[in-house]
Amino acid sequence: MDGSREHDGTLSNGEIALVIDLRSYRLTAVKKAAYRFADRFTAVLGSPEHDRIPVVLRFAPGITETAAQAHVRQFFQELLDQELREHIAGETNAVRTLILAHAFSNVDLIERDR
Amino acid sequence: MTGLHPRFHDRAAFAPRPDYRLLPFRFIRLDDRRYVMTNDVGEHVVVSREQLVALVKRELPVTTQLYRELTAKHLVFDDESRAALDLLAVKYRTRAAAIADLTGLHIFVVTLRCDHSCHYCQVSRQTEDKTAFDMTREHADKALALVFQSPNPAIKIEFQGGEPLLNFALIQHIVQEAERRNACHGRDLQFVIASNLTHLDDHVLAFARAHRVFFSTSLDGPEDLHNANRPLRGGNSHRAAVDGIQRIREALGHDAVAALMTTTPASLARIEDIIDEYVRLGFTSIFLRSLSPYGFAIRTRLVHSYDIADWIAFYQRGLRHILALNRRGVAMREELAAIILQKMFAPAGASYVDLQSPAGVAIGALVYNYDGKIYGSDEGRMLAEMGDDSFCLGSLDTGTFASVMTDDRLHDMLEASLPESAPMCSDCGFLPWCGADPAFHRATQRDAVGHKAFSAFCAKQMAVLRHLVTLLEDDPEARRVLMSWV
Repeated sequence: MDGSREHDGTLSNGEIALVIDLRSYRLTAVKKAAYRFADRFTAVLGSPEHDRIPVVLRFAPGITETAAQAHVRQFFQELLDQELREHIAGETNAVRTLILAHAFSNVDLIERDR
Repeated sequence: MTGLHPRFHDRAAFAPRPDYRLLPFRFIRLDDRRYVMTNDVGEHVVVSREQLVALVKRELPVTTQLYRELTAKHLVFDDESRAALDLLAVKYRTRAAAIADLTGLHIFVVTLRCDHSCHYCQVSRQTEDKTAFDMTREHADKALALVFQSPNPAIKIEFQGGEPLLNFALIQHIVQEAERRNACHGRDLQFVIASNLTHLDDHVLAFARAHRVFFSTSLDGPEDLHNANRPLRGGNSHRAAVDGIQRIREALGHDAVAALMTTTPASLARIEDIIDEYVRLGFTSIFLRSLSPYGFAIRTRLVHSYDIADWIAFYQRGLRHILALNRRGVAMREELAAIILQKMFAPAGASYVDLQSPAGVAIGALVYNYDGKIYGSDEGRMLAEMGDDSFCLGSLDTGTFASVMTDDRLHDMLEASLPESAPMCSDCGFLPWCGADPAFHRATQRDAVGHKAFSAFCAKQMAVLRHLVTLLEDDPEARRVLMSWV
């Protein structure tokens, strides 16, 4: 496991507890990754403290340790993707707004009074 | 000195500069090794994760072929390619231009009566003798008035049911009245009857020939499969469809009839047989469609009889068979793939209403139901038959085109259908090639936006899109065939 999070590595009572370092993954990325994985587990986010946020992953009853760990690995891959998406969006959103404004600037949306 | 004339610069002066800038793009994982990057107009590049990260960290060498591809596809720009901003704006406007034309497809549900008892019927048909489920001539005339209030220069009027030929007198009236009104409107006017063809006769064919009416029918595959899916009291549905197809072609021309199939559990093991039946009957395209969560398909729980993974395996096998047919010189096209490929490669995208942003609800198609109610989509009236009238946009007794287009309910639906603002969709790399299908999510999750992590629509789209991109990337022969469908 990478150094940006801590967890005990085991499934206990259908849950895996994690701590995610918000210096590596911003909170928006954590929320988006958690939303995307809602069909595999429910992520309960705690209160951020000292750049770290506790996250409990609650799985459906009967899940095996192997399956749960596979979901955790995929969750952290998704976190990396979401963090990169946030970075790209932050850098390009102004350009996107400019392009969209330019795209429709020649369209006369309002029938003006003569 | 290079020895060049002073008016020429050295080649180095035209070299790409390392301080490139990112243009807006999204990405999604294609497989364990690769990502798909797309811009807002559907242009794409497939890269490794290392390449993606290097690009964002400005560590991608600008002398590489990948960098040139990224600039050509408008995913990055530099001082030498600032025209990219203008080009992207023009391309975006081109893809959105059709929205300004507003509604082109107008569906008249002339009756809900039907002689078939298909298990997957989405429209909750009624028995043949219940004329209470017929559209009245008064409502038909009011609907026609509304049709010609649409500014779209191309108007297609489609007759649906039930079985619309059970109310053929009203179809005749609508066609003749539409032609009379169009004499002063001058629209490109087309008519289509969506029929099972059991009531096709010489009288219907003569009228269709005189008024250039086309047909669309259902064909689920070989005779045994089709008849199992589409029971016809005291008759043979497959024989009626095949005979009808032949008679329409003889009377109106080969392309005057199209066919659609629906996948039932019985279809899953028969994909090659289904496609071969289409080839045998002279069709050059097939639309591999999964069951929709409406009408009898819900009431009989048929829609739950296979899951989306089964359908995806069915689809991939079907596409493999179609590509093999093409390699043997047999022309055959799969329509869902063709629509997506249009969205990937054609400047104007594709006009398929279920994969639009915003969705084609009302702005792409309007439905005039047998009872005089107006719906924003065919699926909307199907939901209404299940007791959910949330897609109803008024009544023909009081509605006008303007009242429908300015209805707050419509605006809410359109807003819900924008993937750009939907959770999970908004940062999905497949967004420019996808849609949101609000009726599907209303039917399955009681919410027009829906949670895409639980959405069979999303799972289906993701799988089909990943499969198509993989074929385009990894199989040159498949790519050659797929690109011929654009």
